[in-house]
Amino acid sequence: MDFSLNEEQVILKNSIIEFATHELNSDLINRDQQGEFIWENWKKCSDMGLSGLPIPKEYGGAGAELSSALICIEALGYGCKDSGLVHALITQTCCGVQLLLFGSDFQKQEHLFGIASGKKIAAQAFTEPDAGSDVGSMNAKVEKVKDKYILNGSKIFISNGPIADLAIVSAVMEESQRKGYGKISCFLVEKGTKGFFREKPLEKMGLRTLQNGELIFEECEVPEDHLIGKEGQGLFMFHEVIEWERALMSACHLGIMGRILEACIRYAKNRHQFGKPIGKFQSVSNKIAEMKVNIELGRLMLYKAGWLKDQKKRALLETSISKLFISESLKRACLEAIQIHGAYGYMKEFEIERELRDSIASTIYSGTSEIQKNIISGLVGL
Amino acid sequence: MTIKNVIKQFIHTELLYEKENIRLDDTTQLLDTGILDSLGIMTLLPFLEQTFFIRVSEGELIPENFESVNAISLLVEKKTKS
Repeated sequence: MDFSLNEEQVILKNSIIEFATHELNSDLINRDQQGEFIWENWKKCSDMGLSGLPIPKEYGGAGAELSSALICIEALGYGCKDSGLVHALITQTCCGVQLLLFGSDFQKQEHLFGIASGKKIAAQAFTEPDAGSDVGSMNAKVEKVKDKYILNGSKIFISNGPIADLAIVSAVMEESQRKGYGKISCFLVEKGTKGFFREKPLEKMGLRTLQNGELIFEECEVPEDHLIGKEGQGLFMFHEVIEWERALMSACHLGIMGRILEACIRYAKNRHQFGKPIGKFQSVSNKIAEMKVNIELGRLMLYKAGWLKDQKKRALLETSISKLFISESLKRACLEAIQIHGAYGYMKEFEIERELRDSIASTIYSGTSEIQKNIISGLVGL
Repeated sequence: MTIKNVIKQFIHTELLYEKENIRLDDTTQLLDTGILDSLGIMTLLPFLEQTFFIRVSEGELIPENFESVNAISLLVEKKTKS
């Protein structure tokens, strides 16, 4: 068993860390406060190939397998303090994965270049006001009329939604005889389509540079060839793509934890109280040791998930465990980091309070921690 | 045990909890009745792949292939032969 990165992966990882550290972190306190999407940084990341990591080279992407993509995103999470930007890139990547796995040749030709180059911003429109994890309660309806589909309904909290050029929208087939798992289908809806409205960004506690909002569909006409996959395939697609999403989000969280760990070690070595560095007090050093343990354990689980996906195997259990463990560890690490930094940690200037605000969402999006536990317990037979 | 019986037994033991009123036969609609819900599919797929040494591809993840024990058996038979 070889746990080391190869030379190519080490070079890639280091180049992303250097890029992110130098190019993506300026004026972030102000931009976070304003809640603004930083277009120039989006473009820089896209130019770096970070919006199309798993998309094949023939469509302008990097053609990376999941395990390599995880290394890249962990490096990005470590170097880039703008977690909203990284979240936006992962959303973009997952839309690309869905089209890659289930889209028609026409859809791939039409959209994957734009997604890989970052010129088209993509959003995944699944969540509704009354349908989060309970997808069976989905209300958005779609009806087939001649050679078109007509969409009606609304989606909420959609990442990249307010700025999306392209939305992958899930809806229940009205005329379908099917109920339950096979009743949902997915459609590509482009900006400018009649009856498609992108609402303004919602104000959030954290991840403020990420744009989340409501998408509304009113008698929205979608051409027949905008159906992704087949009718009724929506939830099957969702479960394939969610493995990617949970793995990539976890990789980002690992990177952030690595950065926080180092900041805590630095501070614990340099800050002296009662005549010695505070890191010499066990109540401080134990917190830091726990962060390190969680990073190492989380990474092992996540890389196992990446390896499974590279082998074309399912990794639902492994991605759920990774998502649960790493996001909860991140939230705890951010809280402890503030405690270690004391009053300084509570100040905006130290940028740890923003990490804490951003981390709260990590145990909510892509399936809450409670849902991950339901999945895990279900998969072990309970 | 036949493929069909292996599948049926798995559904019986793993997925029919609190759905005792549903009588499972080869044509029972698994998706419509909610026997195969989100968690059901997530449980069934790894079971099929590990038990029969197959890989269900993205294109095969369609409702028609999972709507009944018959349909799932057909899919597995096709995969094991290929």
